[in-house]
This record gives sequence, C-alpha cells and structure tokens, in this order.
Amino acid sequence: MTSEEIVEKVKEDLADLIQNTDLPQGDAVIFVAPDSLESVAKFLKNDADLKFDYLSDVRGVDYLLEEREPRFEAVYQLYSIDNQHSIRLRVGIEEDNPSVPTVSNLWKGALYPEQELFDMFGINVEGHPTMERLIMPKDWEGFPLRKDYPLTTETVAFSHNRDFKSELVKSKPPTR
Amino acid sequence: MSVTEQGLLERDKDTMTLNMGPQHPSTHGVFRVILEMDGEVVKTAEPEIGYLHTGIEKTSENKRYVHVIPMTDRLDYLNPPGNNLAFCLSTEKLLGVEIPDRANALRVIMCELARIASHLVWLGTHALDIGAMTVFLYCWREREMILDLNEEISGVRMMTSYIRVGGVAKDATRSWLDGILDFIQYFPAKVDEYERLLTNNPIWLDRTEGIGAFTREEAINWSLSGPALRASGVNWDIRKSQPYSGYENYNFEVPVQNNGDIFDRYRVRIEEMRQSRSIIQQVLADLPGGPYKDPDNKVSLPARETLHTSMEALIHHFKLVSEGISVPKGETYVPIEGARGEVGFYIVSDGTNVPSRVKLRAPSFMAIPGMCKMMEGCYIADVVGIIGSIDIVMGEVDR
Amino acid sequence: MGLIDQAVDALENEVNNLKLNVQDTVEAMDYEYTGSLYDTVLTTKLGKVVGWAQKNALWPATFGLACCAIEMMAMANSRWDAARFGAEVFRASPRQADLMIVSGRVSQKMAPILKQIYDQMPEPKWVISMGACASCGGIFNNYSIVQGVDRVVPVDVYVPGCPPGPEALLYGVIKLQEKIMMEAGTDKARKRVA
Repeated sequence: MTSEEIVEKVKEDLADLIQNTDLPQGDAVIFVAPDSLESVAKFLKNDADLKFDYLSDVRGVDYLLEEREPRFEAVYQLYSIDNQHSIRLRVGIEEDNPSVPTVSNLWKGALYPEQELFDMFGINVEGHPTMERLIMPKDWEGFPLRKDYPLTTETVAFSHNRDFKSELVKSKPPTR
Repeated sequence: MSVTEQGLLERDKDTMTLNMGPQHPSTHGVFRVILEMDGEVVKTAEPEIGYLHTGIEKTSENKRYVHVIPMTDRLDYLNPPGNNLAFCLSTEKLLGVEIPDRANALRVIMCELARIASHLVWLGTHALDIGAMTVFLYCWREREMILDLNEEISGVRMMTSYIRVGGVAKDATRSWLDGILDFIQYFPAKVDEYERLLTNNPIWLDRTEGIGAFTREEAINWSLSGPALRASGVNWDIRKSQPYSGYENYNFEVPVQNNGDIFDRYRVRIEEMRQSRSIIQQVLADLPGGPYKDPDNKVSLPARETLHTSMEALIHHFKLVSEGISVPKGETYVPIEGARGEVGFYIVSDGTNVPSRVKLRAPSFMAIPGMCKMMEGCYIADVVGIIGSIDIVMGEVDR
Repeated sequence: MGLIDQAVDALENEVNNLKLNVQDTVEAMDYEYTGSLYDTVLTTKLGKVVGWAQKNALWPATFGLACCAIEMMAMANSRWDAARFGAEVFRASPRQADLMIVSGRVSQKMAPILKQIYDQMPEPKWVISMGACASCGGIFNNYSIVQGVDRVVPVDVYVPGCPPGPEALLYGVIKLQEKIMMEAGTDKARKRVA
C-alpha cells in the first residue's frame, strides 16, 4: 500500500481516534493523542491489510524552543515486513506530568526506547516494567535532552578568541 | 529494578550473581551484563548500558549540519560512512536535493567497503572470543587494505566524513579506483580462507550451532535488524525494500538462513561480505561520469578552481562555510542498511542552520533486550558467543 | 654549660638547614643525592637494569572504550606488531598488567570504573592516554564526557589523534619506554613503587 492509501484507510477505520494526518515528503504520518495510543497501536498491528508487526524506533522530541503546545512528542516508526510499507505515529505529550502508555505489550522492541524516553526527557511510560535510568548514571538528576538542560557547565579551556587567551597568559605561573 | 531491589545481593538464594563487564575483553566495548547463574547455566541476564554515553544527540543540537557529520562518524565507529550516509540522506530529504549519479555510486562504494571492513572486525573479534586467534590476525590484514583506501580518498583511516550533504567530499582518483579493483580481485580467496578455517570446523560448530536461537516471530517482535534478523528467516533488507542511493540498479542477493542461531548469523555475514564485493565490482564496471556533488552550490561547496574566477561561487562558498545550510522546517527519517542492521537519523528541523533534534536509530541498541533474552538457558561461555554474534557496538548504543 | 649547649644546638640546626638546602638544590637539578659515591653508582646502575627490563615488557591492560580501541587492536596486529616492542600480551585482568592504555572517551558513568581498574593494577604502573577524547575530552565538550582522563588517573604519555593511527600509538609506547629509561634508577622511579 502506498502512503496515501495507508493514511486513507487509517482515517476511515479510526476516525475519531486520530487527530490529524500528514504526508511529508511521501511518508505516512498520523497524529494521535496519548489516550488513544493503545487502541490505535493495536489496530495498526492486527489489521489484515496494514499488519505493522515491526517497531523500528520510539523517539522523543522537545519542542520548547518552537513554543508549541504540547511540548513533548513521542514518535513511533512502524514497518510491515510482509507488506513492505511504513507509518509514523506522532503522539503529543503535555508538559505537566508528561506520560504516555506503553506499547511494549505489542512490540517487545519498544522496551529500551521507552525507557530512554524517561531517562532523557522525563516522560513517564505507563505500564513499562522498568521506569529507571538507562543511559545516564543511576543517581543522575535532570533530563539531559530537554531543551532547558544545559549542554555543559564548563567553559572551554583554549580558545582562538584573542581576548580570552590574554587572560590565560596573564595567570600562568612563571616556568623555569 | 536495580540490582539491590531484585535481591541479587542476598546470600541465601539458589543462584549466583556474576557481573560481566564493563571492562572485559569480550564485551565489544563497555557493556555490562549481570548474570544470574544456576551453576554454569544462565537463568537471567540483566544488561546495563550507558558507560559510553557521549551526549552526541544533544551536542548535535548546537552544531551546524556539516559539523554534525564528523560526530556521526563516531557513533557506530566500525561503519562511519554508513552513519554519514544516513544523516545526509535525512537532511537531503528535508532539503529536497537531487544527488548526481556519480555521487551515489561513490557513496555505494564507500558504504560497501565499510560493510566489508565492519564484518572483518566482527569476524576477527567474534572468532577471537570463541578461541580462534588466527582469524583475528587474518581479518585485520584485509581490513588494513580497506583502511589504506579510506586514507587515500579522505585522508583519514577510519572516521572518513567522506559523505557530505549534496554528494561526497572529493572526487575519485584513478589510483584509488585501481586500488579498489586490486582489493576486490584479492578478496574472494580470503573469504574462502576464513570459511576453510571455521565453517566445517567441529569446534566452531559445537560452539555456535543451536545456541542463542530466535524464531522468526521473536526476531520481528524484539526489533532485531540486519544479519541477526535475516538469520532467523526474515527476508528484510532496506537496500531491497526501501532502496536508496541507486541500490535498485545493482544485482545482489540477500542471504537468509532459517535457524537463527550463532552459526546462521555467521553464515549470513560471510555471504554478505561476498555480496558487497560483488556490488562494488558492478559499480566499478559502470561508474558514471559527471559532478560528484550537487552542482547547484546552495548545498555543497563549489569546486576550488571556480573560486578564482566566479563571483557567485565565492559568495556561496562564504555563506556555506560561515553560516551553513538552512534546512526547511519539518521532520523526516530515512533508514539505510548498515553493517549491523537498520540505521537511520530522525531529524527535526526548525528552519535554521542548526538541527533541532537528531535521533539515531541504532540497531545495536534495539538488539540488546533481545540479546539478553537469548542468553537465558545458555552456558556462560555461550554468553560471549551471543554478544559477538549480534555484533553490538557501544558507540551507537549509548550515543 | 647551658649556654654552650644552646650554641651547639644552634650550630647543629644551621648545619642541618644547610644540608637540607643543598639536598633540595641537588634534587631540583634531578641528581641522585644519597651521600656516598659507592651508593650512587650501584643503585643507579641497578635501577637502570630494572628500568630496561620494565620498558621492554610493558603488558597493556585491555581498556578499549570506543573507536580508539579499534586502532589499538590494529597496533596489536601483524602490520604494526606491538609484540616486537614488548607488549606481547594484552592482559584482560588488570592485576597482571602494568600499562593502561585508556583508548576512547570516558563518560561520567565510566570514570569510577576507570579509577577502580587503575587502583587494581599493581605498581609500578603507567598510563597512556590515547586519543583526543582521553587526553582532553576531544570533540565532545558536554555534560557527559570527562574532559581529559588525567582528571581521574595520572597520565604519563598523551597520544593525540582522532583516532591516532597505530603508528602514532606505537610512537607513544616508544616515548613511554624512553621515559621509563630516563627515570630508571632515580627517585622518580622509586616513587612509583611507593
């Protein structure tokens, strides 16, 4: 099925469960609210024509700088191995108490990426067996991939900036 | 649950807790797995990752597109051109640029050479873990030839950053193409040599057959990809199902095996090395002429000779170097078939010259839970074989 | 009587201070100060022999973290054979190694483990910081990479590169061998086996 056909079929069968659809550069994209994610995912996996049995990835995005509501988004990429087509689900998540239901009952491959959603963005995934730090150390505070988390707190030691360099040269101790 | 909560540190229980890693010669990088053992049999394997977390995704949100390309080299550091290509394809899809044929052909050559080089590292380290030390030395002998070719075309042995947005960085030279021809004529005998050492070797078969098997449904459900998926009977190769960079023009087979154990993954990768060599031969037989990057200098740097004569070229050069390319607003994902499986970058752009979100879909990251499921019921020595057969690279797992 | 004792004490103090000053000055010029010529010649010569033996049999501990580890493996392979310089076996256990080549980027999570492995190595031990990330944080200046492994362990030789070619790492090992020979028989070598 082409992307247009997929989007048409989804709009027909899931009319009020999806918020919007899009076809950017030929990809099929549907927008879903967190509450309807479970039913939409189940439909996409079990429908005979669509049969999306392979989950490629779950990503988190923080739209703080673009100042749009909802702030976070979880994006799911699904493939169908037999039908050789793909779809992208975009789930908008609110800023206060961000949370989204898990799809790891349907696709076991979602376990790690959803845990990373929590680790990097602080999005709580309901129903996930391990809502713990995955990549950051266990006692890390803060969610690194959020836009309000600083990249680094250390200034660069060496710089081609002439003014900066002269400060360093003045404070160096005399050598032998 | 953490190690303490699961009661793994209690004294009166039937199983022994064995910690493997993160520093261990056989874990292919800094990977830690906590094994619950009943004697020598593994009951559960709990992985722990994050020891190589580099914050590349967050750093990329502060760098221009061309500056992200060397960072992508260091993600899956055994297949740098693959990462470069995945990033460039996603960016080019947002930009809407057409890539000239010669650039596509050169990209295919680099990616297939990198696939062979990555499989050579896999074979060398996997065989070394299982005990065959000779294969380790033999594989690096061939890999050095590929790294010399890399150095000739891009200046760097490993992190080439050769594939850029709009095409490739430098045109192919006569001596480079001759070097590749020599390599592909020399290589098939070497693959046969590796097979002679391993495929019918009773020790190898004992250590690899029937171990760590995943059925077709399990492999799909646990999101395996690449050779591990194909060894379980799933005929899924992105180069065939969603072709990119002109792969639809080349004649090659996708090796698929049925048992899904370590031996089958070995068979698949050996055959992939042969198929990659055949693809390179086809590209070289019919290498198209023309520009090696997008001739409209909005995206790629103009050729240096034109800077002396053309004013527009100079202005484009200045803009591209100082400000970089401005990618229209949107989000996209283009997968490629990397050496380990499906690699792709999900890029979100906010219209500026700096990406807003860069997320790597790492095949090793997605394979780890499945890999630890495979370890249940195996002996401790098989754990090492399983990790080697899935071929994880911690650079892309932890990013 | 008391006055003479006081004077003798004062004089002894003066002489001791002079001796200490001479010792400091002589040590600052990196000369061996032992007090007897016989002592100097024998321990220095013996120290040089010990240093020669140590430098020609540096066994690295496998501490391959990231991309630099691949080039370290290339150094150990047949083209740039590290075994001919003494690095015959890469010991998996740090208890049996005397050289730690930190090859790759050290993240915040890995730093305590790096320190633990370094502590587990018996003395004398040396550290080569291989690559830009181990030397100074490399191209990654962010929240998760330790900006230079010398914040965690003392480093003897820094090998720049991203990744440094095997020939560069081999040059680093040779430089470390020269350093060991230079320090052999002196107090610096003695301090390593504190």
